[in-house]
Amino acid sequence: MLPSERLDFSSIDQRPKLALPGSARLAVWVIVNVEEWDPTQPLPRTVLTPPAGGAPMPDIPNWAWHEYGNRVGFWRMLEVLDHFEIRAVLAINGSAIGRYEPIARAAVDRRWEFIGHGFTQRNMQKVADERDDLRQTAAAIPEFTRQPPRGWLGPGLTETWETPDLLVEEGFDYVCDWVLDDQPVWLKTRTQPIVNLPYTQECNDVAMMLIQHHKASEYYDRAIDQFAQLHTDAAQSSRVMALVVHPYIMGAPHRLRYFRDVLARIRAHREVLFWSGEEILDWFLDQRGGA
Amino acid sequence: MIPRERCDYSAIVDRPPLKLPNGARLVVWTIVNLEFWSISRRMARQVLPAPTGEVLLPDVPNWSWHEYGMRVGVWRFFELFARLGIRPTLSINARVCREYRRVARAARQAGWEFMGHAWEQMPIHKVDNQAEMIGRSLDTLARFAGTRPVGWLGPGLTETYETPDLLAAAGVKYIGDWVYDDEPTEIRTTFGPLITLPYSVELNDIPMMLVQHHESGYFTQRCIDSFERLYHEGAERAKVMAIAIHPYISGQPHRIKYLEAVYEHFSRYEGVLHWNGVEILDWYLSAKAAL
Repeated sequence: MLPSERLDFSSIDQRPKLALPGSARLAVWVIVNVEEWDPTQPLPRTVLTPPAGGAPMPDIPNWAWHEYGNRVGFWRMLEVLDHFEIRAVLAINGSAIGRYEPIARAAVDRRWEFIGHGFTQRNMQKVADERDDLRQTAAAIPEFTRQPPRGWLGPGLTETWETPDLLVEEGFDYVCDWVLDDQPVWLKTRTQPIVNLPYTQECNDVAMMLIQHHKASEYYDRAIDQFAQLHTDAAQSSRVMALVVHPYIMGAPHRLRYFRDVLARIRAHREVLFWSGEEILDWFLDQRGGA
Repeated sequence: MIPRERCDYSAIVDRPPLKLPNGARLVVWTIVNLEFWSISRRMARQVLPAPTGEVLLPDVPNWSWHEYGMRVGVWRFFELFARLGIRPTLSINARVCREYRRVARAARQAGWEFMGHAWEQMPIHKVDNQAEMIGRSLDTLARFAGTRPVGWLGPGLTETYETPDLLAAAGVKYIGDWVYDDEPTEIRTTFGPLITLPYSVELNDIPMMLVQHHESGYFTQRCIDSFERLYHEGAERAKVMAIAIHPYISGQPHRIKYLEAVYEHFSRYEGVLHWNGVEILDWYLSAKAAL
């Protein structure tokens, strides 16, 4: 289905008001992405290009650079999230649950929400059987958490024309690949509609650090600017803000302090709720009275 | 062997902490890289792509940009490290001992550790006979330096699946290609265990200046941010922090002061050791045996 068939254009100031409980104006959700990179395949991202260019395989240095996030960086980020008593959302490749079991265990112990993030970190357009990938992912999570995942984030936010249809058919309640709004929206599918939650490519360390090559401190500056504007916008109708991090990027020793400072600043604000994806979903369903 | 066959996933928080002598918290490992760029091939890096982007040979402007490092930039390093009383590890293409004898001799006289870094600067995937190249490189360095190198860094950190086996067979004891931890680790090879030391692609002027195009001054900020985080963590668990520099990049007149500022900052702290690769290896082997 084309995007225009899934939802009509809608301007944010012409919708019925959304109201968070109490005096809250903004729901902030923090998504930690944990991936397993296959060293026999071209890697999703690289920090170091080989001498004289090209893409010789295998690419051990960049594989190792990503692996650092799971061995070391994640545990730094965990300490920060614990300190501010924030339950993050873990977007995890199905295969990474077993491979990096201590990470999955730490997330379960803290009652983080797990969402599907592909069985492997591969573009959904290149997955041999998309439905099978969704099923495998949907099965790997409850095997560990005892709760089926309600949310889905495509690897690199990739989708085929069919992805939202398949997600509904495989039991998912929300998706976050459509970064087209500051509020949740409904997407039509060939069966029941699915909710899309506002994820972000803006306050996202992959886009900011690996593609745009900003200094680490820009993560802080941008997140605070984003927050201030959304807080202003939310005077009329509540807004959702996402903060996206990857252990191999913001978990590097030189970047961690900027992630910590963002959370310290936003946490100190009274009109903000730190929610999981499913809390945002359930609130939205309640506000909009279901589909 | 793929990486996972060489080592299992290990979360740093699940390991007993390593301790440094006399309550030190952190080891700074400085690596100076010296390379030979063959004028007959595509240059390892480019500061100035040719008009229209086409790669033409010979590439004299980029060859001479690198050559500046050997003629001028590296002497700024020698002066700096002599003043600081620091003897870095020298990651050196063996051919440099022939082509830039004057530079290699200065490093030998200054007592720097010679670490194998292939014969010349090209991805190791493109070397026809890797075992022969490794042997020839180590033999050349051994003859020049008087002792056989203990460590190895691939050109651009490149490896094939066989490289660690070939290196172990050639008597190499540690490698820097696996940037996946803050601590040394042990990996499996067909010739027994090999130690990985935490080299860096984060505190490294190639990714920072040539790939990510950061301003010169950001080198200081990133190194200090890393240092402060690792120093903090070093109270509980010994940390190693590598800084990797190249004379044609950090030896530029506009960049050298930012490198100096990094070491100036470190000098204000107690409990910081400046060790070379062999010293880190020896400490790790004895510290691990004592656990």
